[in-house]
Amino acid sequence: MLKLSRLFGGALAAAALLAASSVLAQKKEIVIGLQCDRTGPTQTVGVFLCPGYHDYIALVNSKGGVGGAQIRAMEIDHEYKVPSAVESYERHKKEGAVLISIYGTPQTQALTQRLTEDKIAGTSPGFGTAAAANGDRYPYIFPIAATYWSQAAGAVQFAKDKLGGSLKGKKIAYLFYDNPAGREPLPVLEALVKEEGFEMRTFAVPPPGVEMGAQVLDIVQRFRADFVIAHLFGRSPSVSIKELKRAGYPLSKVVSFVWGASEADITAAGGWAAAEGYYGIQFAGVGSDYPVLKEITEMYKKQGKPAPKEMASTVFYNRGVLIAAIHVEAIRNAVKAKGGTNITPHDVKLGFERIKGFTLGGLVPPLEINNVDHEGGGWVQVFQAKGGKWVKSTEWFKAYPTLLKRMLATHG
Amino acid sequence: MFHRESGYYKTTYAKDMALYPLPVARWAVAAIVLLLCIAPFALHEYYVSILNLILVATVGALGLNILVGYTGQISIGHAAFMSVGAYTAANLAVKLGWPFWVTLPAGGLMAAAIGAIVGIPSLRIKGLYLAIATLAAQLIIEWTINHTPAISGGVQASIEVPRPTLFGTELKTQTQLYWFLLFFAVLAVVGTLNLVRSRIGRAFIAIRDQDIAAEIIGINIFRYKLLSFAISSFYAGVTGVLYTYYLGIANYEQFTIVTSIDYLAMIIIGGLGSILGSILGAIFVTLLPIAIRLGMENWGGLLFSAADINNLIPNMRLILFGGLIILFLVLEPEGLNRLWRNIRSYFRVWPFSY
Amino acid sequence: MFDWGFTLVLLTNGVLIGLMYSLIALGFVLVYKATDAINFAQGEFVMLAGFIIAGLLFLAGAPFWVSAIVAVLGMVAFGFGLERIVLRPLIGRPIIAVIMATIGLASVLRGAAPLFFGAETRALTLPISDEPIVLGTITLPPVQLVGALLSLAFLGAFTWFFLKSRMGVAMRAVADNQQVAMAMGIHVERYFAIAWGLAGIVSALGGLAWGALLGVDVHLALIGLKVFPVVILGGLDSILGAIVGGLIVGVVENLAAGYLDPLVGGGTKDFAPYVLMILMLMVRPYGIFGKARIERV
Repeated sequence: MLKLSRLFGGALAAAALLAASSVLAQKKEIVIGLQCDRTGPTQTVGVFLCPGYHDYIALVNSKGGVGGAQIRAMEIDHEYKVPSAVESYERHKKEGAVLISIYGTPQTQALTQRLTEDKIAGTSPGFGTAAAANGDRYPYIFPIAATYWSQAAGAVQFAKDKLGGSLKGKKIAYLFYDNPAGREPLPVLEALVKEEGFEMRTFAVPPPGVEMGAQVLDIVQRFRADFVIAHLFGRSPSVSIKELKRAGYPLSKVVSFVWGASEADITAAGGWAAAEGYYGIQFAGVGSDYPVLKEITEMYKKQGKPAPKEMASTVFYNRGVLIAAIHVEAIRNAVKAKGGTNITPHDVKLGFERIKGFTLGGLVPPLEINNVDHEGGGWVQVFQAKGGKWVKSTEWFKAYPTLLKRMLATHG
Repeated sequence: MFHRESGYYKTTYAKDMALYPLPVARWAVAAIVLLLCIAPFALHEYYVSILNLILVATVGALGLNILVGYTGQISIGHAAFMSVGAYTAANLAVKLGWPFWVTLPAGGLMAAAIGAIVGIPSLRIKGLYLAIATLAAQLIIEWTINHTPAISGGVQASIEVPRPTLFGTELKTQTQLYWFLLFFAVLAVVGTLNLVRSRIGRAFIAIRDQDIAAEIIGINIFRYKLLSFAISSFYAGVTGVLYTYYLGIANYEQFTIVTSIDYLAMIIIGGLGSILGSILGAIFVTLLPIAIRLGMENWGGLLFSAADINNLIPNMRLILFGGLIILFLVLEPEGLNRLWRNIRSYFRVWPFSY
Repeated sequence: MFDWGFTLVLLTNGVLIGLMYSLIALGFVLVYKATDAINFAQGEFVMLAGFIIAGLLFLAGAPFWVSAIVAVLGMVAFGFGLERIVLRPLIGRPIIAVIMATIGLASVLRGAAPLFFGAETRALTLPISDEPIVLGTITLPPVQLVGALLSLAFLGAFTWFFLKSRMGVAMRAVADNQQVAMAMGIHVERYFAIAWGLAGIVSALGGLAWGALLGVDVHLALIGLKVFPVVILGGLDSILGAIVGGLIVGVVENLAAGYLDPLVGGGTKDFAPYVLMILMLMVRPYGIFGKARIERV
């Protein structure tokens, strides 16, 4: 046993040495704190989203960076745990990060107070709290992409268009993952029920959501929904596609929120043929037909490497690119305003609030972020699974803006 | 060699029963206290934040060790009690505006009450069955909090809590929170040290060793098992409240079964049935992911490409975490505590070998 | 409110999914019955099997039957190896040690599998049609039918094994009293290994069925949590109990989702089996078919 103790003592000493040697030399660079989840419950997203982020940053760096400074996206995986996220935030702060790319709803909530105290901007695209779109109340949190409220409004608008322009007397089923993120759209949906006059019933799927036969049965046979709005995560979207198909419900009457419509969900549901007709809301363009993606492929080719395999999962990869692009744009605005690369996090926050008319060839919606609207307008786009790939079904649109503004003012 | 253990003449019962009768022990404790006091001034804020996380984890690990290490029960529901404490305190702080020195014990007591209820099955079932019952309790408590907006504070199931205020100053920075957390952590350690030396603690140990024999000699196992669950849950509730004040938010997703397993790992690696073990285990498990990341960042570049590293680090952490648990269980079942004791006993008689 | 047609469909669904749960519980029960060890990593075993099959299908382009057989052999080897390296040193330790060892193992598998096989989700397509069989209002999906049939086949096979075959009887002897079994000339450690090997086979086929149902990725391991209500209700060491327990859990889940959810606002599905489980623990901890353990001082 003593031998083990000595081994252990030696290991401890080595570890201490390693930790001590971690002081890296600081270069002329701008640091972004990137959080990711590659091993936790949302790893199926993280392993595609974060490479997309890194690739865009590499592209920007290959073109000379921003204002002459290279950008370093420092990634820390927090396993979707909150204490790890807090520790990673402190580490990012230590490294001088000018903004934090938060990953995960509980993490966003846990870091909100800290970010506000430390005056560092944090982004929560497509997740987090919808109320954070209110820039007055949450000056340092930027959803920068459609929140769950905007997605809900978009889904209802889309259903309305598909059901002939009016929802009066129609029945809509809301199938959702039974956790806070899944329940967040409920106030908006209930307000829309009043405004549009449709009947809505909610169907909760408890985590981990691998089995929902009874709920789907209810939707299809008892409730007989005219349209299904699905807000599911992880494994459950593909299960929902299978179950709905099995119950004989046409997938072209189903629209999913942003985290339930990716290539992985289609694959797990049995392939494109099995999921034909399924609609999904997106906050970033889908598919490889965007100039920036071609540039990234070019960049890899110049290095003699094939395009990364993560690119094939365009829904998540493109989101990573979008997030990185908006971040770089904010940094660019900050550098321009400051006249140099010596920017502080507060400068970057102001940089966010000047983003306008930045669309990256259609990958990014026409966001307009200012100091009261940190969401940028709540733009969504709907894609449909058709003929073996995602096909654009609508252009960028924002739904029910006045209702959402009213709700943000009262609920936030 | 370095100190004398005999020849200290005690003149009162109090001196005999003191926590640290030997002067060398008292000097060692004084040195540790001094280090802890200097730490926030000497270290960068980032390291202080890590210390803060360790301090909170220590309280939780101590509580779990009381139940599992000293009383021999099993609980996979530790995180649920933390969330009970956290939400109780959050609700009291936000809805009634009570200050932290009221909400903290309130959260702890609420968790203790729930813990006692969850402990009732322990009178009839043992071992795996008890483990599964506590697992069920964990899931049921999670579900209840999630689905009761009155407790969870609405659809998002998270309550923003104002920072604790002491004599008018709000404790915001890592250093200020460090003192806040240190106070409670020290309180927990001293409390536990005295608890296990007391009558209650000895009853717990008797129950662990052979509960039927304990009952025969007159220990009311009903009372003491429930007490053990209650005390352990009190610690858990306090841990939850401390997390809440540290983060500024109470969120049930922090207290899932994964967290319960983390704490079990802490006390197994640290050493069941020892206070030093709880502390060492808390330090080890909290630092492990950070150490792996630092190691891979600095040295991983030699072996793997940059893109691979990002993917490798988190998976390595899971593998190492599980692997270390297994390693400790197989090679050193009494954990880091035993390793420390081996090192200590080696130096006790050095340069002789026995 | 009470709709017979709807209820019938719920029941059928419940029976089918319940038998799929039983498939996983069988692995757990086998190990516990023969070696007294509790496998908290049962879900991860199923996940590993799924990864092996999906990996071979996708990365190596192997045909289905080859992948399935390789997975079964692989899991058997894994079971043997596990017993030898991790569990043999832990014999005689308190129960929490074995529980924690399998929890640690679960963590290792969850980290290693995506690392070696890739984290993206893959579909596992069985060589059977995807179209459900329709009987009136009831739809029977082929994947679940396959899973259910496998469960029932195992029920028959293992019941015969433990009652009639020489190996099975020896295994029961080992589970009953190791020392006497050794005295009778039974090689205890070999039977432990065999038990884990059998559990490997069950896990492999479970991985096949569940992977086909859900798609293979790291989340497949989450199904392991369902094991506990099943085995507590049925009895930790009873093969029949695993089947019956699975049926109960499946049916209760579906009925709860169909009838309780609208009243409470959702989410009772996961909740209901655990409540049942706690009631069972209070009244009859050994389950419906489990063997009562008498505590000896």
